[in-house]
This record gives sequence, C-alpha cells and structure tokens, in this order.
Amino acid sequence: MLFKKLWRTMGLYRAQFISMIIMIALGVGIFVGFNMEWVSIDKNTFAFYKETGFADYRITSEKGFSVDEIEKIESIDGVEKASRYLSVNADVKEKNGDAVALTVTENADVSGVKIISGEKYDSKSTDGVWLSDKYAKANGFKVGDTVTLKYKNLEIKCVIKGLVKSSEYLICVRDSSQLMPDYKTFGFAYISPALYKKVAGTDFYPQINVISDLDKKDFTEKADKALGKTELILTKDEVGSYSLARGEAEEGQTMGSVLPVLFLLIAVLTMVTTMHRLTAKEKTQIGTLKALGFKDRRILRHYTSYAFMIGIVGSVIGIALGYGVAYIIMNPNGMMGTYFDMQKWVLYLPGFCVVTVILIVALLTFIGFLSVKQMLKGTAADALRPYTPKKMKPLVIERTKTFHKLSFGSRWNLRDIMRHKSRTAMSLVGIVGCMILVVGSLGMSDTMNAFLDMYYDGALRYNTRIYLAEDTTPEQRDEIAEKYNGDTGASLGVQIDDKTVSLDIYSLKNNMVRFPSDKKGYVKLGDDGAYICMRLADEFDLNVGDTFKVSPYGTDKEYTLKLAGIIRSTSECVVITDDYAEKLDISFIPDSVYTNTEKEDILSDSAVKTAQSKKAIMDSFDTFLELMNSMVIILVGGALVLGIVVLYNLGVMSYTERYREMATLKVVGFKDGKIGRLLIGQNIWLSVVGVVLGLPLGVLTLDFLLKKLAPEYEMRMYIGPVTYIVSILLTFGVSLLVSLMVSRKNKKIDMVEALKGAE
Amino acid sequence: MAIVEFKDVSRVYTSGDHELRALDGVNMTLEEGKFIVILGPSGAGKSTLLNLLGGLDSPTSGKIIVEGKDISTLSNDELAEYRAAKVGFVFQFYNLVPTLTVHENVALVKEIAPRSLSATKMIEEVGLADHLKNFPSELSGGEQQRVSIARALAKNPEILLCDEPTGALDSQTGVLVLKLLLKMARDYGKTIVIVTHNQNIAKMADVVMHVKNGKIVSVTEQENPSSADEIDW
Repeated sequence: MLFKKLWRTMGLYRAQFISMIIMIALGVGIFVGFNMEWVSIDKNTFAFYKETGFADYRITSEKGFSVDEIEKIESIDGVEKASRYLSVNADVKEKNGDAVALTVTENADVSGVKIISGEKYDSKSTDGVWLSDKYAKANGFKVGDTVTLKYKNLEIKCVIKGLVKSSEYLICVRDSSQLMPDYKTFGFAYISPALYKKVAGTDFYPQINVISDLDKKDFTEKADKALGKTELILTKDEVGSYSLARGEAEEGQTMGSVLPVLFLLIAVLTMVTTMHRLTAKEKTQIGTLKALGFKDRRILRHYTSYAFMIGIVGSVIGIALGYGVAYIIMNPNGMMGTYFDMQKWVLYLPGFCVVTVILIVALLTFIGFLSVKQMLKGTAADALRPYTPKKMKPLVIERTKTFHKLSFGSRWNLRDIMRHKSRTAMSLVGIVGCMILVVGSLGMSDTMNAFLDMYYDGALRYNTRIYLAEDTTPEQRDEIAEKYNGDTGASLGVQIDDKTVSLDIYSLKNNMVRFPSDKKGYVKLGDDGAYICMRLADEFDLNVGDTFKVSPYGTDKEYTLKLAGIIRSTSECVVITDDYAEKLDISFIPDSVYTNTEKEDILSDSAVKTAQSKKAIMDSFDTFLELMNSMVIILVGGALVLGIVVLYNLGVMSYTERYREMATLKVVGFKDGKIGRLLIGQNIWLSVVGVVLGLPLGVLTLDFLLKKLAPEYEMRMYIGPVTYIVSILLTFGVSLLVSLMVSRKNKKIDMVEALKGAE
Repeated sequence: MAIVEFKDVSRVYTSGDHELRALDGVNMTLEEGKFIVILGPSGAGKSTLLNLLGGLDSPTSGKIIVEGKDISTLSNDELAEYRAAKVGFVFQFYNLVPTLTVHENVALVKEIAPRSLSATKMIEEVGLADHLKNFPSELSGGEQQRVSIARALAKNPEILLCDEPTGALDSQTGVLVLKLLLKMARDYGKTIVIVTHNQNIAKMADVVMHVKNGKIVSVTEQENPSSADEIDW
C-alpha cells in the first residue's frame, strides 16, 4: 500500500522529482561522459600503440645509422625491438599541393602499420605503397591505383597495395603549426625498405626507433655507450602522436572533474532542500502513519526510498547520457575521431565512476533519511502536529530606518529571503552556476576567435612557406628569398637543461612573421636578446633581463642568451634574429623562406623541397572551430537547463510554502498580478546578486580552464562585450521566464481551502 | 472490568525556561465496553490525555495501565505495536493519506494490525461501497470522516479514540457520523473515548469526565444516556 503511495506522491511532487532527476542525470552524465572519454582514449590508444609497435625512443642523427649501429642498439639489455626508420614529407604528384609523410621502417614490428584493407605489408615489395586510408578516402585513391611520390629529386612511382593506419601518425599533422589533421592535403605512406633502396640507391636512415621499457636516463647512457657517441634521443613524450593524445586524455580528466562537480553539487543541494520541504509538507501524514501504529523504521524506509529512487533513476539516465556524451566525442566522425586516426573506439566505463555514482546514490539516500528522521523526532503526538517553520526573529536591518521606508513588497521579500536561507542560497547557486557556464563557454569561443585572429592573421603575414632542400648553397637560398621577396628562417634543435626545444632564427626584412607579446600587441624583435614562449618562461622561471643557456644537440657547445621578451607561441621555442645569432656565433642556415607569393606560383626548383600555404593551415582549423562551437552550444544549453531546473524547483517550493501567506493576501484584497509581481520581485533581486557574483566567477573559471585545457596554445583570455551582454540577458531571461511560469499558479490559489484547518 | 487505569499521570511540556503542566497527577479508570466522553474547554489537557491513552505520547511521570500492561515505559517501537494492535483513532481533520484511495487508506492497516478486518466490509458498513476507488479529496468532509472510522475499526482494536470527531463537520453531518460511530462501536463491542467540548455529545455517554487545568474535576456515570435522535442539536 505504501508502495502505491510512493508513486502517487512522486506524481504530486513531479516538478521537484523531475528536476532533481535531471540535475543528477546531468551531473552523473557529464561526470561519466568525460571520464569515460579520457579512460577510453588511454585504453584505446595504448592498445593501438602496442598493436602497431609505437616506439618508446627515437635516436636521430643527420649522418644516418649503419647496419652495424642498429645491431648494437638491438643488443642492448632492455631493448625489446629496434628498427632503422625514415620519415620525410614527400609531395604527391597526382595531387598538386598534397604531401604525405613518406615512411620506411626496416623492422615492421617497430613503428609499423595496421592493415585496414588490401594486402598485408610486405617488406620485400619493390613497387608497393601502403597508404593512409583516411588520406586515400579524402583524395579518392583506391587499392590498385598508382601514386607518384616526389622527394627532392627522387620520384617514386608505386602501386597502392593496402590502406593502413599507424600509431606513429595517430595525429597526422605536417608540423606543430597545424593543429588539426587535414587528410585532404596531408597523409602518410609506408614503402618497403626494399623499394627505398632500389629508388634511392642507398639505405640512409637518419633515425632508429626503439621499443624498450628502460627509463630515459638508463636508455640514453646505454645507447650512447653502444654507439660510442652522443646522439639526440627523443622520448615518446616529445612526439605529437603520443603527447597530444595524453594531453587530450588530461583535458578529459579536467573536464570530467571540474564541470560535473558544479552539477552534482547543485543536485545534492537541491536534494537537501527538496527532501526537507517534502517531508515538512508530509509531516502530518508521517504523524498519521505513526498514530496508526507504523513503526519509525517502516516510515523511514518509505520516505528514504523516495531519495533512493531519485538517485537510482537519475544515475541510470546519467550513465546512459554519459555513454551518449562519450559516443558523441569518440565515434569515428566525432571530435576525437577526426583528431585521432583510430579504426574504432571501444568505450570503457571506468570503475571509479561506478564507485562514485554508487556513493552519490548513497549520499542522496542518506540526505533523504536525515530529513525524515528530523520529522519523526519526538512522540507520535509531536509528529502529528504540522511542521512549523522557525520562529521569525526581527532582522538586524529592520532596526534601520530605511527598512521601514521600503515598500511592503520589499519588506515581505527580505523577510522571506532571511527566513528561508537555504532556499535563497540554492537559487543563488543556480543563477551563479548558469552565469559561470554561459560566460565560460561564450568566453571560450571569443578567446579562440581572438587567438586565431592574432596568430594567423596578425602573426603569420606570409601566404606561403617554402621549405628549402637540405643541400642548398647560400647563393641558392639568397636567390629564392630574393626572387619571392621573402624573409628567411631556420629552426635548430637545442636543449635547455634536459628539455628539447626549438631555437628559431629569423631574418625579417619584410616583416612576414610577427610574434604576439605575452601582454598586448606584437613584439618587435631586437638584435641583442632572445625571446621565449610563455610556457618555457614559466617552466624555467625566466624574466626579461635574465640569461639562460642553450646547447645544440649532439654538440658540447653552449651559448648564453639574454632574455629580451616573452612571446605567445604554439610551439615551445626560443626566437632570435639573425643578427643576434651572429653576435653569439650561432651559424644561420635558413631552411624556410616566407613569402607573399601564392603557393601555385612557386616554381619548381632543386632548392625547393616543398611549399605550404597558410590557407592549408587555416583550413585545418575549420573542423576545430566547428567542434568548439558545438561544445559551446552544449554547454550553454546545459547552463540554461541548469538555471531553469533549479529556479523552477525552488520557485514551486517557495510557492507552496507561501501558499497560505498568499491566500491571506488574496483574502485581504491583493490582486493576482500584484502578488505575482511580489514573487517576481524577489527573483529579480536574487538574479541581480547572482549575476554580480557569477560574472567574475565565470571569468576566473575560464582563466582556469584555458590554463588547464589548452596551455599549448598560450591563448590570451578575451571576452567580448557581446558575451557579457548575452550572458547577463540569458541569465535574467531564465530567471524571468521561471518567475512567470511560477507566478501563473497564483490564480489557482483557493482562498477557502488554504485558510481552512489549523496550523 | 477496567480496561485502562491512569495512576498519578503527569505530562509536562518544557520549552526553554517555560514549563507547561498539561496534565497534573491524573487518576482515572475506564471500564471495558463503555462510551466515555471527556469534556473540557480548550487547553484543559483533553488532547494530551487522549494522546497518552493512544500511545502517541508518553507521560512525564505516573503509570498508564492498559489491559494490565504498563504502556508508559514502552519504547517507540513497542508503542507503535501497541497502537497498531490496541487503538483506533478518529481525528478532527480525518488524517487520511491523500495519495491513497478510500479502499487503500483502510486496507493500509492490514500491513500493521495483527487482527485486522476486511477493508471492503468496513467501508460497506460505513456506507461508502460506491466510493472505494475515490481519493479522499473527492469526498465530502462527512464521507472522509466515515473512511476514517472504517480505518480505525478495520484494525479491530480494543479502544476507539476520537478527538473532536465532528469538529470540522456541520451539525447535521456531525450527528450522522456520531450515530454511525456509536453503532459501529456497540456492534463490535469496543470501548470508545471521545474528546470534545461539545456538551450535547456528552448527553449520549455512559461516563462523562470533566477536565480542567490538567486535572479531572468530575466523573459522572449516566444510567440512561440519551440517544442521538433525542438530543436537540
């Protein structure tokens, strides 16, 4: 019988029940979704790394490695497998402007491929190529087609034997200036060592890839000893396909811990207030059951099961929602699907999520338990008496003269706010939460757009970057630079302490590249100091005027640089001018020419390795922006749901609590509209306070998220005036909408019913 | 035979430093099968008396013996068992569970009372056989009170306790409810205690007790109580 009562009571309080279920579902959904995301990224990518033999270490040498040397590395104790390896960017002749990372690995178990369709990889094949399936799809290549790959003056004509994926190209980008893969213009291709030798005539491999469990220090020592010289060794953390994937997982972890906390906190607080109101309203019924002879335990169980039910239903919907969120992110066409080149994603529900969800349900049930316990206190006769709210004490502000000058409505509302502090606090949390989410997500979009403007419109002022071939003479380089009226630049791998960063040297006569300052505007490069990116400045605690030392790879040379400024950059770099390089005695051998000439107009030349248009970089951003915009819509939507649910729930509660008061006002002669305005007035005051609190909190949250989620872009937070206006209007809109929804109920107040019966 | 005995029972409510003696050393005996009316002005201690008798509250001092058993020292759960088995309540505001239908409200006691009677039969006897499936809010006040009587009797208790059972009803409906209440109590042989400030109801009682300032000031046994029809309402 009590079970029937359970269902009917739920129907009676459906607004509260539904809103709590929504809150819990949202909280649990976001929590489960994002945590599933990062755990699944970890598990899936690790499986893929293992399957295709992702290398733990890469030893590189410009001179290349001999067969003798690879044998020495292989025989190191602790090295599982090793392979000589080559990866260079080659143009695709059939598709003008496209490039692929042309890859050769001697041992297919190291940095190898996974066949998606076509023939199995054959290291003896002398005419075959195994092409990235995504690149093939984007460019209409099929198994059996012929492609011609051009690298320097080599032309490799080969037949597509198979379509593949490889963990080495999990995130397939040309270089660090490209943030998202764009398979239309860039992919990868594996050819066999046999074909490589046949076409090139040599077996030059500038890299050895190693699978090993040794730690970096241990491995470096052993490798140096084995080779008898010091070579540059990169760990997997310094490779994009690994570090970016880890970064993505960390982002998911942050999202999975910051956002759900807000929703779950609100869910728990809503539970506290709602269960208290519900049991207070049901107090005479609790008394009746008690008077009939039901034991306390039985009544406790009955009312606690409301909370339990809400918890369970909310969590189940939440977990389903979580799967949905994770699927949206992780499906092959979703956010991660376009970023990571994985064949399929298996979604994992992490164990700690299950535990947390169980704990949440337990907590909610406990809250329900405590609220009933409170109402059961004392004898059955006590329980039969209706719940009486705390006695009204005069407020401190009532002693001031101004209080008495306030209108009746304001005084009524002020007293009500003070009397129901927890309800007031909850409304504020709802409004503040809504504000934080809206400001944060719209601000994220503003920041991103400002970042793109600053970086790609303001900083990269060239149209085309020409990569020079390695063996050009100074005369050839000058000729190219002059012909296209370009600026030149070079990148050198250097170490600061143990960290590998890039030292970029520029000769900027035409201002083709500019450097955004850590503050406002752009830095004008001077000739007596170096400029470093914000992350490095932070990491090594460097301020303008400090000196620091850099050492090019594989050399014992060390240069002392003076820090002249801090810049924003997407890569970890140190930037100096050619004049400063000369002063320091660092030789400047340009590897790139930046020019305004369009890519199509760059003539083929033995000195030109390849050219990349800025447009290609910009295009890769479109998908990125699209994904971000959908994220913003989801978050703003979530914010609005949050606001509406919390405020409506509290509004209905406030309405039922003040039913008698309002009925009295009505009896006295107040019109419905007047009573409605009193209620709305209170909401508007709360909204003003909520907005004032929420705005700075939203800005702080955004700042935190930017630092935590995307430190690699060194973005400057920017929130446009439109965002401020829209956030305030939206939040007020939600508050007003809910007030109107609630105050419509006024008309239904039955004066006689409400005033009948003793209190 | 005495079914209930109060021995020097006091009930003191303290709130802060304020002390209220709702009952002050009450001694009384209630005979089995009798119709007892407890009369008194509001605040005299009538409801406290009823609450103690019904096991809704425990005395501050003194003993309450029901069927030879002291209920003043029972634990909460034992009190619940006592209420479930021994007493049926009829309240002024009916106290039905609004989310349960008429039938369910009465059938509810099956879950707690060991000797309960058929809910349908009880509802038929109070004349609401046509309203089994209705919710309390769909009934008039008199009908709701009849459901409440059916519920109290469905437990098959020893004592029926009624707190101003006609207080919220107009006089005509009140008489009908009262008649029904008495008939049912007699038919089932129950002791019935009604607390009221309505002098007319007292005329029908076997025993009338007057309560004032927490004490029983008089006990009158009426040899020939009037029937409900004889009384001028």
